[in-house]
Amino acid sequence: MLLLIIFIAVLLCSCTKEERLTLAVGGTPEEVLKWEKLVDEFEETYQIKVEVLRQPADTDLRRQSLVVALTSKSPDPDVFLMDVAWISQFLESNWLYEIRDVDTSNFFPVSLQAGLKNGKVYALPLFVDCGVLYYRKDLLDKYECPVPETWDQLLKCSLKVMKEEGENFYGFLWQGAQYEGLVCTFLEFSASAGGSLDQLDSPQNLKALRFMRDLIHKYRVSPPSTYTEMKEEEVRILFQSGRALFARNWPYAWALHNSEDSPVRGTVGVAPLPGFRRGTGASCLGGWHLGISRFSDRKDDSLKLVKFLISEKIQKRIASLMGWNPARTDVYRDLTKSMKHLSAVKRACLKAVQRPAEPYYSQISEIIRLFVNGAISGRVDPSEALKKAENRIERLKGYYR
Amino acid sequence: MRKEALFALPSFAFIFLLLLIPLAGTFYLSFFRYTTFIGKDFNFPENYIRLFEDPVFIKSLLFTLQFTILSVSLELVSGLLTGLIIHSSFPGRGILRGLVLLPWAIPGVVSARAWESMFNYSYGLLNYLTDSILGLRINWLGNELTALLSVAVADLWKTTPFVALIILAGLQSIPEDLYKQAKVDGAGIFRRFREITLPLIGPFILVAIVFRTVDALRVFDLVFVLTEGGPGGSTTPLSLYAYRIYLGGDLGYGSAVSVSLFLISLTVSFLLLLISRRRHGFE
Repeated sequence: MLLLIIFIAVLLCSCTKEERLTLAVGGTPEEVLKWEKLVDEFEETYQIKVEVLRQPADTDLRRQSLVVALTSKSPDPDVFLMDVAWISQFLESNWLYEIRDVDTSNFFPVSLQAGLKNGKVYALPLFVDCGVLYYRKDLLDKYECPVPETWDQLLKCSLKVMKEEGENFYGFLWQGAQYEGLVCTFLEFSASAGGSLDQLDSPQNLKALRFMRDLIHKYRVSPPSTYTEMKEEEVRILFQSGRALFARNWPYAWALHNSEDSPVRGTVGVAPLPGFRRGTGASCLGGWHLGISRFSDRKDDSLKLVKFLISEKIQKRIASLMGWNPARTDVYRDLTKSMKHLSAVKRACLKAVQRPAEPYYSQISEIIRLFVNGAISGRVDPSEALKKAENRIERLKGYYR
Repeated sequence: MRKEALFALPSFAFIFLLLLIPLAGTFYLSFFRYTTFIGKDFNFPENYIRLFEDPVFIKSLLFTLQFTILSVSLELVSGLLTGLIIHSSFPGRGILRGLVLLPWAIPGVVSARAWESMFNYSYGLLNYLTDSILGLRINWLGNELTALLSVAVADLWKTTPFVALIILAGLQSIPEDLYKQAKVDGAGIFRRFREITLPLIGPFILVAIVFRTVDALRVFDLVFVLTEGGPGGSTTPLSLYAYRIYLGGDLGYGSAVSVSLFLISLTVSFLLLLISRRRHGFE
């Protein structure tokens, strides 16, 4: 018993540490190491000590650890990263401290918008992500296909190439498993048909959803595993093995497609996603924002750290060191010289669209992915799926009104 | 107070602090509309009414029950067989007993990852086999029926050792003399099994059922890794559903889902204990 008391006392003592600036970052171990490098630079410049709190790599788990810290009003972490999909929840929960006196003129507009509330800045994008189209340059040349600007072109070219390349070769890979990524793909098809996720039961969305289903079941240019397994890495690995003509993925895949041991190295091109008509293509906005906790005990230093991380110099470093897409449009010109895919990424991000900005978005997302997945698997009729999803979302909104 | 009662104090404190308080807290929260983004107001019984109106909840309740019945019955059969095998004496029995325990010792997430790669459509071992023998690929985690079966099989592999161990303990408690006498009386191997083994390990089987049922009702890690609740939400157990709702910031409704899971577990284990007590006078 005495031991127990001592043990608890020691535990309590270790909680009341000296105040220090804490930054919560997650990701792979290499990513976290690179973060520590960036933070070292900040420490040297400002003479402020920063402790990097390591989070898991999984997005849901990162969110979980932040939600726990913030609901308990913990002073740590002071600064953290948020996926663009959860910012609304954080904004509406009043967990964020206003980021004052920053120049916001250079950010991608849709991305900046996501962090605003009543015109005030509560979260600033650190880097952006936008869905892009990867294609096989060599095969497009061989079969005389243009880089598709419409879904129709993409479909025709896929069918043509698949006929020649034989079995086990697919036209178009995309994320269709029942998870958050499916909401993104659906949003892109929907927006490129002129639809919106705020009004699900619309002719535009029906057109988009039917097309998604037909890609798998009617034209068979997308594999049947699309609606069960296809997430980012599944798409990336299959495309990289040389067994597909087109793939929808995030910009991170570029470096991997061109890595030393990649079978498709040097033959991959990247472009903004096609639309149902020329010029209507849209990209789902992803990326991570920086935020300062309202419960932070070091708000001034936190502001300095945020401003440091969105400075031109560090934004460039983020691109070259981490391989992320800077949130500032003005750094792209210098970067595209060495990272060629970035010009397509920039064009895609300028046409980015945001997922529904509701604090209970994750429940909306559950509904959308449930019904969209049901429709593309062929189990539910697309128009029925959209009607049901819309009903369900209306009911959900009622609970939180 | 008697002195002996003091000795029960640590375990009572443990149960009180770590089980009863959080439990009461969850009950309490489930009476509120409590989200991180709106605030907190009393709305009993609205969260509970919402449960019945919520098709996702009903679907995940059905999945939870299906999974529990399927996996527990499979595990009983395989656990019984495994138990009988490692009870009989043969050279290398000690090594086999150790090996049989292996799946139970592997952390759930790790074994789930291993199964995930075996079920994979493109490069999984199972499809390699079906492809080379039958020439077809099956989307194991991809449709509702095979996904349920896949999860059940992975669970079967992992928890058979647990059932086998309990049954082994039961088998070892049976005196050899009974079998010898039965043999003298001319009872065959199946007769001996039916008349001696089964009745005598009955209480042990019930213990295994109780433990496994309660465990299966709150399955989480396996499904989280293998299917993440898909395809089409068909493999979302209640625990995963509650977790998702908590994550979205709705603590009140999430608590209501958790409470419902708790009540189901409680009822089921109570019924099972009632049966065992009536059947075997087993306490």
